[in-house]
Amino acid sequence: MLVSLNWLREFVPYEGDIQVLGDRLTMLGLELESIDDPFEGIKDFVIGHVVECDPHPEAEKLSVCRVDVGDELVDIVCGAPNVAKGQKVPVAKVGTVMPDGMKIKKAKLRGVKSHGMICSERELGLSDDHEGIWVLDDSFKPGDKLVDALDLERVVFDFDITPNRADCLSILGFARETALAFDLPLTMPELNLVESGGNAADDVRIVIDDAELCPLYNARIIRDVQTRKAPDWMRFKLLAMGQRPISNIVDCTNYIMFELGQPLHSFDLDLIEDSTIRVAPATDGMKFTTLDKVERKLTASDLLIWDGKKPVALAGVMGGLNSEMHAGSSNVLLEAAVFRPGTVRKTARRLSLPSDASYRFERGVDQVMNRFCMDRAAQLMAETSGGRVVSGVASAEPRPWQDRTHGYRHDRCMRLLGLDLEPEFAKKVFTLEGCTVDDSDPSNWTVSSPSHRLDLEREVDLYEEVGRVYGLDRIPAVLPRVAKSLEGTVTSNTEYGFIKHIKAWGAGAGLNEAINYSFVGDEDLDRLNLPAEGRVHIANPLSEEQNVMRTDIAPGLLNTLKNNLAQGNSHVRIFEVAKKFVADAESDTETNEHNRLGILLYGSRHASDWPWGTDDADYLDIKGHVEHFTEDQLKLGQAEFVLAEDYAYLEPCVEVKLGDEIVGIVGKVKTDIADFYHARKDVWLADLDLSILRDMVTAHEIKFVELPKFPPSRRDVTVIGPATIQARAIRQAIEGAGIKILESVELVAEFVPEGQDEERNLSFRLTYRSPTKTLKDKQVDKEHKKVLAALEKALPVRF
Amino acid sequence: MSNDLKSFTEGLDSLAQDCESRKGQACSLNELEDLRIEFLGRKGKLARSMGQLGKLDNSDKPAAGKKANEIKQRITEMFDSWQAEINAMEAGRVLGKFDPSMPGRKPWAGSLHPVTLVMDEVCDVLTGLGFEHAAGPEVENDWHNFEALNIPSEHPARDMQDTLYVSERIVLRTHTSPMQIRSMLKRQPPVAVIAPGKVYRRDSDLTHTPMFHQIEGLLVDKDVSMADLRGTLTAFVRQMFGARTEVRFRPSFFPFTEPSAEVDISCVMCGGKGEANGKTCRVCKGTGWVEILGCGMVDPNVFKFVGYDPEVYTGFAFGLGIERVAMLKYGIGDLRMFFENDVRFLEQFA
Repeated sequence: MLVSLNWLREFVPYEGDIQVLGDRLTMLGLELESIDDPFEGIKDFVIGHVVECDPHPEAEKLSVCRVDVGDELVDIVCGAPNVAKGQKVPVAKVGTVMPDGMKIKKAKLRGVKSHGMICSERELGLSDDHEGIWVLDDSFKPGDKLVDALDLERVVFDFDITPNRADCLSILGFARETALAFDLPLTMPELNLVESGGNAADDVRIVIDDAELCPLYNARIIRDVQTRKAPDWMRFKLLAMGQRPISNIVDCTNYIMFELGQPLHSFDLDLIEDSTIRVAPATDGMKFTTLDKVERKLTASDLLIWDGKKPVALAGVMGGLNSEMHAGSSNVLLEAAVFRPGTVRKTARRLSLPSDASYRFERGVDQVMNRFCMDRAAQLMAETSGGRVVSGVASAEPRPWQDRTHGYRHDRCMRLLGLDLEPEFAKKVFTLEGCTVDDSDPSNWTVSSPSHRLDLEREVDLYEEVGRVYGLDRIPAVLPRVAKSLEGTVTSNTEYGFIKHIKAWGAGAGLNEAINYSFVGDEDLDRLNLPAEGRVHIANPLSEEQNVMRTDIAPGLLNTLKNNLAQGNSHVRIFEVAKKFVADAESDTETNEHNRLGILLYGSRHASDWPWGTDDADYLDIKGHVEHFTEDQLKLGQAEFVLAEDYAYLEPCVEVKLGDEIVGIVGKVKTDIADFYHARKDVWLADLDLSILRDMVTAHEIKFVELPKFPPSRRDVTVIGPATIQARAIRQAIEGAGIKILESVELVAEFVPEGQDEERNLSFRLTYRSPTKTLKDKQVDKEHKKVLAALEKALPVRF
Repeated sequence: MSNDLKSFTEGLDSLAQDCESRKGQACSLNELEDLRIEFLGRKGKLARSMGQLGKLDNSDKPAAGKKANEIKQRITEMFDSWQAEINAMEAGRVLGKFDPSMPGRKPWAGSLHPVTLVMDEVCDVLTGLGFEHAAGPEVENDWHNFEALNIPSEHPARDMQDTLYVSERIVLRTHTSPMQIRSMLKRQPPVAVIAPGKVYRRDSDLTHTPMFHQIEGLLVDKDVSMADLRGTLTAFVRQMFGARTEVRFRPSFFPFTEPSAEVDISCVMCGGKGEANGKTCRVCKGTGWVEILGCGMVDPNVFKFVGYDPEVYTGFAFGLGIERVAMLKYGIGDLRMFFENDVRFLEQFA
C-alpha cells in the first residue's frame, strides 16, 4: 500500500521525520517496505522560458528556440507545433536522463545545434498527452526544478499490509494510525456537496436479491458531465500513488478509493436500461464482456450488477463494456456498495482479475463510511466535470451495519500479554481507535468496535490492540516454567532422533546428503517401470515434472545424479532420507508415508586416484554400505543378500533380508534407464525401509559379550569350484558341518584363473576357539578335516 | 726399558696412528667392517702385533700387555665412533628421501545437507529448553492444515494458487502447524512440542521453492503469556545467532494466533548497523533487522477445535523457515541451490 506523505498530512498534521513515522507505523504492525520518490525520474527537469522562437532555416516543421533555463540561455531545436515565444516549458538540459532511460546530449538537427529538449507531458511520463510540448503556468520561474514548481509529491511510503487490516488500505486509515501513534488530531475532508433538484431514487431503483451478498448499495446520479482530463492536482496525486490518470470521472472514483478506501464504480446512466440496478448472482455458463473487452465465462458463484435487462458489471471486480463511461457520456450513475468479501475474492481469483477495487472489497469495506465516500466522490465529479449532482440517493440496505460489542477483562489481557498496565491505558487505546467503552463493570467492560475495524471481532482482538499500541516489543522477556513429567524425555525414541542417527552415519560413511523435492513427474516413475496404481497425484501441480509424490526414493536420487553429471561432476555418492508416498484409502490423509534411506554410488570408488587407484564403485561397494549400516551401525546382525528375480529398474537386484523380513534392495540401475540420466558408468542404488528398521532397532538391545579368554587357531582353505556356487552356499556348508569350536568364517580372497571363468577359487579363513581351554593343533586339524569333508559332500568343490 | 719393549710399544702406537689415518676410507658400514677386520680381526694387524708379546722379557710383559690393551681399546672406540657417524649419515640419507608432501590416502568425506545442519541445531536448542519432538504426515487433510487452524474455507491461503492439492480435502501441508493440532489432540496440557519438517507451497521463483523446511514450536499451559514467548524466542535466537543478538517483535497477522508478531533479529551480517564497509548491508538492506520467524499467542478458536478450554489454557506458537536461517548462516544467496544437490555445494557442509 502506497501512502503519499502530503496527502496524509491533509488528514493529520505530522511534521516529524519521515523515517521515524515509517518506523513507528512498522512497530504498530504496518510494515514499512521502502520510502520512494515517485517523481525520481523527472527530478532533473527545469523550467525554461522561451525567449526567442524562429523557424528552422532548413526544416519546415522545426523551430529554433532560445530558452532561458535560469543560469544560462541555451538553443534548443523543437519539433512541436505549439512552441512559441514567451512560453514557460519543461526543459531537459544536456545530461538529463529521460524517464525512458535516454540521455539528452548535444545534437545537431539539420545543421542547427540543439542543447536540450523541450518536453511534452508524455515525455515526462505524466500523461499520454503528446499533442505538443507542455505549456506551463506563466508564473513559474526559469531554472526552478519542475518537480518543485509543480509541487509534486516527493515522499511515498510503501507499506506491507496484513490481510486483517482492511482499514489501512487508504490514506485515511494511515492517518488514523498516525494520529494514534503520535497523539495528533485527525481532520476529515469537508463535504460541500451541492444538490441540484430532481431525485436520484426516481432515476434508478435499486434491488438486492440476497442481503448476504450485498448488504448495502448506494447510488448517486451526476448529470451533464463533461469527460475530460482531471485537474493537475488530482492527476499528480494519483500519479504519486502509482495510479495512471484516465479521465476526470474515473480519476474521481480512484481518488476516493485511495483516500478513503471505498471502491466506487461509474456507469454511463444512459446505458442503464429500465432505470433499474439489481444485484444478483450470475448463472452457470453465462458470458459477460468486461470493460477490458474480454468475454468472461461466469459461474453461479459470481455476483453481478444488472440493469433491467442485462448484466452491467461484475460486482466489485470490473465493470462491463456495455455500460462504461466513454468520451461522449454525459450522465453518471455512481455506485458505492458493500459486497461480500469471499464472493469478490473468489471471482477475482478465478478470472485472474485482481484490482485495487477487488483487493479492498475482499478484505472488507466500511459500511458506515460508504455514504460519505460516495458524496465526496459526487462532489469531486461535479467540480471537475461541470456536472450537477441530482438530489437524493438511490439506495438499498437490506442489512444495515450493526455495532459489534465485546467483553473486555483487563486482568486477563494483562496475563496473556505478560504486562502490568493501568486499565486507563487500555481505555485510551480503545477510545482513540474509535471504540466506545462501557466500564461500569470494572472487571468486564463492554467495548463496541467501529465499523472500519472489521478485525476487532472478539475479546482477544482487543488484547492485541492493547499489546500493539503499547508495543509488543516492550513486553518483558521471561522464560516460561512448565510443570511437566520427565517421562517423555526418558522414553524418548523419536522419529527425528532415529533419522538424525542415520544421517550421521551417512555423512560418516563418506556420503553427501541430498534433499530432493517430494514430488516428481509421472514420467520419472514410468521410466523406472514403477506401478501406476498407488500414486498420489497433485491436482494442481506447478508443472508436469512435479505432478506426483514419490512412490520410490530412486527417481529423486537419479535426478540428482543427472544434475551433477550435467555440471561435470564425475562421481556422485549421495544418500537421502525421505518419505515415499502411497495412496491409502483407509488413512485420514488418504496416503501412507514411509521413511526410506536411499544411497546412490556412481563413479570412482576412492576419493582420489592416487594412491588408491582408479577403480569405479561396484556391487561390493553398495553392498558394503548396506552391511555397514545394518550390521555395524544398527547392530541388526548379518543381513542376507538374495538375488531377486526381476525388478522394475534394477538388474541385478538383490533383496536385503534380516530374518524373514525384506528390509530393502540393492542393485544396479538397468543400463537403458541409466542412459536417460546420462550415466556412462554403472549406477548402484540401495533403498532401505526405515519404518521396518526402526521397529527392529527399537526391539534390539545391545548386550555385552565377554571377551574370549583363550587364543584362537586359524586355518585357511581355498575352495575351488564352479563360479555359479555362491559364497553364501560355501559359507553355509562350512557352518553346516556343526563344529562347535568353529568361531567364524571369513572370505579372504577371490581368484579367477585367467581364461577359465567357469571356475573360481575362494579362500576362506576359519577361526577355531574354545571358551574353556587353549586348543591343541592336533585337535584343530581334526575338526578342520571334518569341515572340509562336510563341504566336499555338500558341494561339487575341491581344495 | 728394553729396546724390545720400546719397539713393541712404538709398533702399537704407529698401528693406532695408521688406523686413525684410514678413517676416510670407510664410507659405508661394509667398508668399515672390512677396515675393522684389518685391524681388529683375529688375524688382523693388532693381533699380529700382539703376537710379538710372547717374545718379550717377562719383566716387560706387564707393561707391554697394558699398552696393548690401551691401544686395542683406543682402536675399538675409534671404530665405534666411526660407526655412529656412518649410521647417522645413513639415517640422514633415508630421511632425505622421505617426502612428507605426498598426498595422503584419504577416505571419502561425507556431509550433511545444510538444511539438516541448521535443523539439528535449532532442534538441539529447543529440546534443550524442554520441548519434545512431534511428527506428522506431509500429505495432510484440510481439517488439520486449515480448518482447525482457524483458516476457513474462503481464506486466501486456501486458494488453488497457493496450495498444492491432492484432492478437494487433501493437501500437501502448507506449514508445520498441523502438527500442533495433532499434538494437542493427542494429549492434555501442558504441551511443549517442536515439529520440524518439509512443507509445500505452490510457488516457484528466485525466492520461493515449492518445497522447503519449517519448524514449529508450541507451548500450552495455564497462564502462558506473551512475555514467556518473548523469553523463549530471545533465548533461542541468542543461542542460534550469538549472545548479543537483539530481538524485535513487530505486530503481524496469522489466522491461528492472536496477538501475532513477526520477529526480527539484529542483522547477522552487519551486526544491526545497516551498513558494512561504508556500503548498505545487502542482507538487511540497510534496516539493521532481518525477519526470522512468525509467532503469537494461540488463537482461542484453535483451542476450541482441539477441545481445550480457552478460558483455562493459553499458549504460544512459533514457526521458523530453515532455509532462510541457513542462507543467513552460510551466506547462500540462491535458494534453489538447496535442492539441486550439486555435490560441489553439498561437500562444503561436511
